[in-house]
Amino acid sequence: MKKLKVEDLPKIKEKRLKETELSETGPFRARIVVHLGTCGLSAGAQSTLEAFESQVAQHPEARAYILKCGCGGFCAREPMVQIEVVGMEPVTYVELKPRDVKTIFESHVLRGEVVEAKRLPPDEKFFARQHFLVLRHRGKIDPENIEDYIAQDGYSALARVLTSMSPEQVIAEVKASGLRGRGGGGFPTGIKWETCRQAGEERKEERFVICNADEGDPGAYMDRSVIESDPHAVIEGMIIGAYAVGSHQGYIYIRKEYPIALEKLNIALAQAREYGLLGEDILGTGFNFDIEVHRGAGAFVCGESTALMASLEGRAGIPRAKYIHTVEYGLWNKPSCLNNVETWANIPIIINKGASWFTLIGTGDVTNNPWGGSKGTKVFSLTGKVKNTGLIEVPMGITLREIIFDIGGGIPGGKKFKTVQTGGPSGGFLPESLLDLPVDFDSLTEAGSMMGSGGMIVGDEDTCMVDMAKYFIHFLLEESCGKCVPCREGLRAMHSILERITRGQGKEEDIEALQDLSKVMMQASLCALGQSAPNPVLTAIRYFRNEYEAHIRDKKCPAGVCPDLYEMTIVPELCPGCMVCARYCPTGAISGEKKKPHQINRSKCIKCNVCYSLCKFNAIKKI
Amino acid sequence: MEHKKIVTVKIDGHEVQAERGTPIIKLAAKLGIYIPTLCHHDFVEPYGSCRVCSVELRRGKRRRLVTACNYPAQDGEEIYTDTEWVRENRRLILELLLARCPEVPVIKEMAAAYGVTETRFEKLYSDCINCGLCVRICSEVVGANAIGWAGRGVNREVTTPFEIDPQSCIGCGACAAVCPTGRIRIEPLWAIKEGEPREFTLGPSSAIYIPTYQAVPKVPVIDPEACIHFKTGGCQICARVCEPRAIDHNQEERLEEFEVGQILVATGYELFNPAVMKQYGYGRLDDVYTSLEMEYMFNSSGPTNGRILMKNGEPPRSIGIIHCVGSRDAHHHPYCSRICCMYALKFAHLIKDRSEADVYQFYIDMRAFGKGYEEFFTRILDEGVNVIRGRVAEVIKASPDKAREGKLLIRCEDTLVHRFREIPVDMVILCSAIEPQKDAEHLQRLFSLSRSPDGFFLEKHPKLDPTATPTDGVYIAGCCQGPKDIPDTVAQASSAAARILANIAKGVVEVAPIVAYIDSEICAGCRLCLQVCPYGAIEYLEEKGISQVNEALCKGCGTCASACPSGASTQRHFRDEQIWAEIEGLLLNPR
Repeated sequence: MKKLKVEDLPKIKEKRLKETELSETGPFRARIVVHLGTCGLSAGAQSTLEAFESQVAQHPEARAYILKCGCGGFCAREPMVQIEVVGMEPVTYVELKPRDVKTIFESHVLRGEVVEAKRLPPDEKFFARQHFLVLRHRGKIDPENIEDYIAQDGYSALARVLTSMSPEQVIAEVKASGLRGRGGGGFPTGIKWETCRQAGEERKEERFVICNADEGDPGAYMDRSVIESDPHAVIEGMIIGAYAVGSHQGYIYIRKEYPIALEKLNIALAQAREYGLLGEDILGTGFNFDIEVHRGAGAFVCGESTALMASLEGRAGIPRAKYIHTVEYGLWNKPSCLNNVETWANIPIIINKGASWFTLIGTGDVTNNPWGGSKGTKVFSLTGKVKNTGLIEVPMGITLREIIFDIGGGIPGGKKFKTVQTGGPSGGFLPESLLDLPVDFDSLTEAGSMMGSGGMIVGDEDTCMVDMAKYFIHFLLEESCGKCVPCREGLRAMHSILERITRGQGKEEDIEALQDLSKVMMQASLCALGQSAPNPVLTAIRYFRNEYEAHIRDKKCPAGVCPDLYEMTIVPELCPGCMVCARYCPTGAISGEKKKPHQINRSKCIKCNVCYSLCKFNAIKKI
Repeated sequence: MEHKKIVTVKIDGHEVQAERGTPIIKLAAKLGIYIPTLCHHDFVEPYGSCRVCSVELRRGKRRRLVTACNYPAQDGEEIYTDTEWVRENRRLILELLLARCPEVPVIKEMAAAYGVTETRFEKLYSDCINCGLCVRICSEVVGANAIGWAGRGVNREVTTPFEIDPQSCIGCGACAAVCPTGRIRIEPLWAIKEGEPREFTLGPSSAIYIPTYQAVPKVPVIDPEACIHFKTGGCQICARVCEPRAIDHNQEERLEEFEVGQILVATGYELFNPAVMKQYGYGRLDDVYTSLEMEYMFNSSGPTNGRILMKNGEPPRSIGIIHCVGSRDAHHHPYCSRICCMYALKFAHLIKDRSEADVYQFYIDMRAFGKGYEEFFTRILDEGVNVIRGRVAEVIKASPDKAREGKLLIRCEDTLVHRFREIPVDMVILCSAIEPQKDAEHLQRLFSLSRSPDGFFLEKHPKLDPTATPTDGVYIAGCCQGPKDIPDTVAQASSAAARILANIAKGVVEVAPIVAYIDSEICAGCRLCLQVCPYGAIEYLEEKGISQVNEALCKGCGTCASACPSGASTQRHFRDEQIWAEIEGLLLNPR
């Protein structure tokens, strides 16, 4: 493959669009887009793909081709497939098992008849309020084919930057866009680039650009999705950033637990080098830059910038004081510009569409204060007790209520909403009363939580706020690097207190102890892991104090989660005596005859909740 | 960005100027403000892990806590080291540390200083606070990297690689020296602790040390066997802290040549090693010491700070002092070592002065020859010292029933009461003989000296010239000539010095004309004359290949003339022809 020059890009775009366009007379009249992100594959998309491949092979007359895409976003309804036939509107099918494929292929592709039963309604609320900037190429490109990316104007921003913009102009554009770091910190990206460039120029030193793809928050998979589906967006963003900052070497630090993302990333990097978009003399403009991929080794703390750089240098991933900024003294003490995957992915579209266009999306005013707004969109992973779990991208400023109840479709099973947790272990729990808060960098922080990197977990009436706080503290306890006293000892102390409370051994002083621990961790910890660790606990106590008091004083878990703090009981009036629970109870704690109300022997009950989940009559209650 | 090199910072309201980036703790120290720390040490880089040194930073309206050990000073900032916020924060940190290490003294003390005596949190009962000082000093200063971290989070601990004895540990003890909790210990060589046996050693306690407190010159020396720098290339803390920068690890031994006219040999003596006298148990039994070892123990800057203690750290109840060990002994040295009686009496006096122990003195004759010496002996008797006239046959371990009074038994004859006696004592001091140094023979050859039968260097005349030697220009003084005490040594040394100065003052050396002469034409360079000359007066000239007589040294003994095989060496005034002529004259006139 000959290395591309700037003028080659539009030619490849034209060629590829021609190759893949649908027409009555051309090579293809139908396109089958199969979503093969990790979620889809877990749901069985590989078998669905193979079924379609078999159909396409069997029916060459259909002139159909398959586009293997990344994540489709609607994780709750995977495997997801879009079928577009010339002359028809594209149709999205969901929950497509291999056994459905033959019917759908024959019906839709061969005969042009949509199969309504498996179709996603066109007015499906999940996609209604979403706005795809970062995920702009969803469903349009095969991440293993760089020409698909180029066909979607990929690398055109890079070409423009390299040929007609100075590094300072690029920085000015990013500053004007108001883009703020998507990893959770929300630092104005343009200012970070400017500081890095200045430090490098002053000291006449090499600089590095780094992509933080460590994504350790439990339940967060935005970055994984972006890399699996559109790795070139990140790569292009990094090359533009490197040009702006004056760097010739970049690193992508990706966590070890993302094998598919890593595979796609490596393929993309190899193709970029092959096409002359990475390495020496990029696009014939004389700019040199290459990217090295570094895998993590299973440490959440390596998502912290100084720990990440230590890990890149080959040392243990332990943070250091950030009184000296990494943008001035970072990787190997050189100026280093570290940004999140999502931040990098925003760059090409900001360059192409312009900073002022970007500022039209989102909230706030960044004219005089770069911290004054939240511009652009944010990708969230919406999970937990919500109907439509999935990966969404929404404009900043949308409310929590809209996300959870419109996009998310509300709480399944007729349960009542209780809480939404944002920002992972660094964020907090918000109650129903705050559902109308806009989602942006600043509004949630005032309420005690934070937007974070995009994890969003919904809880309902069956979610115990003490148990959830304990979960996050336990996570951080395992992931803390252990260097500083407040975090290491504070988490240990917090965990032991929460453990006692969930076992019914809580004391009156415990809430105050938790608050004191929170205080010292927030103000004295060495890095943001320890400083933000108390957020889940503090917000849980602030907004759900009654649950804590119930655990401590009444020794009761109102949500029915903490095994020592509730009992299972069968309501005799509702129980028809079907014997199902008695059959499945692992300890034989349920007794009763057919057609007579059953009873649970509390001394044998281990709270496994099998009976609770099986009972079709809602006769089993937790008290 | 404009960055000033020198910044002005306010600490507790006091202004101080510093280079930008200096940690606050250094600036506070300049102002005499103390900030408590646990994981900080001047010899290693700041670490920022204990957070105890957190102080309040105010910049404009912003207030936050930063760690003083590594926060770099910036212009216009204000730091407050003792506000209620700072103290409350410290109390919580100490409460957490108290939960981790409730029995560690330094934590208990620091917590108590802030009013924290109890902790609400689950106790771990560890003795390590994870300050990392040991790891950092071993890595940054010593360079051995023998210990490090393992595990993460609450399981993070200091340990050796794979938890086995590290091969890279050089036993320097730096880790133990900086450990604040005492978790890492290197047992001191002489611990004054009841009931635990310890090694008695004359060794110094660090690789750089002043040999003794009366050393001349009183400067430290570095033992390259023990010094970390010579093992790993690191450390050099001594050089760092020395203000006049007087320490240079790169010094090497030099051989220097001096051209001198006179030499004074004052090479001293050696103490007889009583281990060869197996009956006294030196080296085999506990608490049998030589006089020099006891001298070290009596010294107030010695290992016991001057207290008299047995090996187990307890004071002895009774002590036996044995005179003439190796002296006046047909098997070892027949001579008397002269000084032992008096210092043995001195020991007795010191023991009586400093302890409650009984003293038994075993002598043959009490040699109190000097000024005030006999009076001192009388005084000792008055102090209640038991003097027993008789040789000690042996020193044995007391059997268990006799050990109540003393764990060693001295078996001797008491000639004044005509009885054999067994005296139980806890400690035995052996007055070892003074003997010539082991290299006396080597020195003898070097300086052309002679030795008397006892092995000490021979003076020119025992009565009239005790400081000169038969070799002109070489003088001897002190114990290398024979056992003597300090006043006598001083007198002899002064005398030798005076002789030397007199010679220098004269400016010329008178030489007798009867000297040997080597004919350079005949001399073949066989050097037989060199070997036989008792005065070292013959020199071999390398370049010419012949020998030459140094007429200043030659005494005209004629030995070389008779030894020379080629007849090159002759004696002036005693040439063969002259002697033949004398003989002829005698024979011609038989009367």
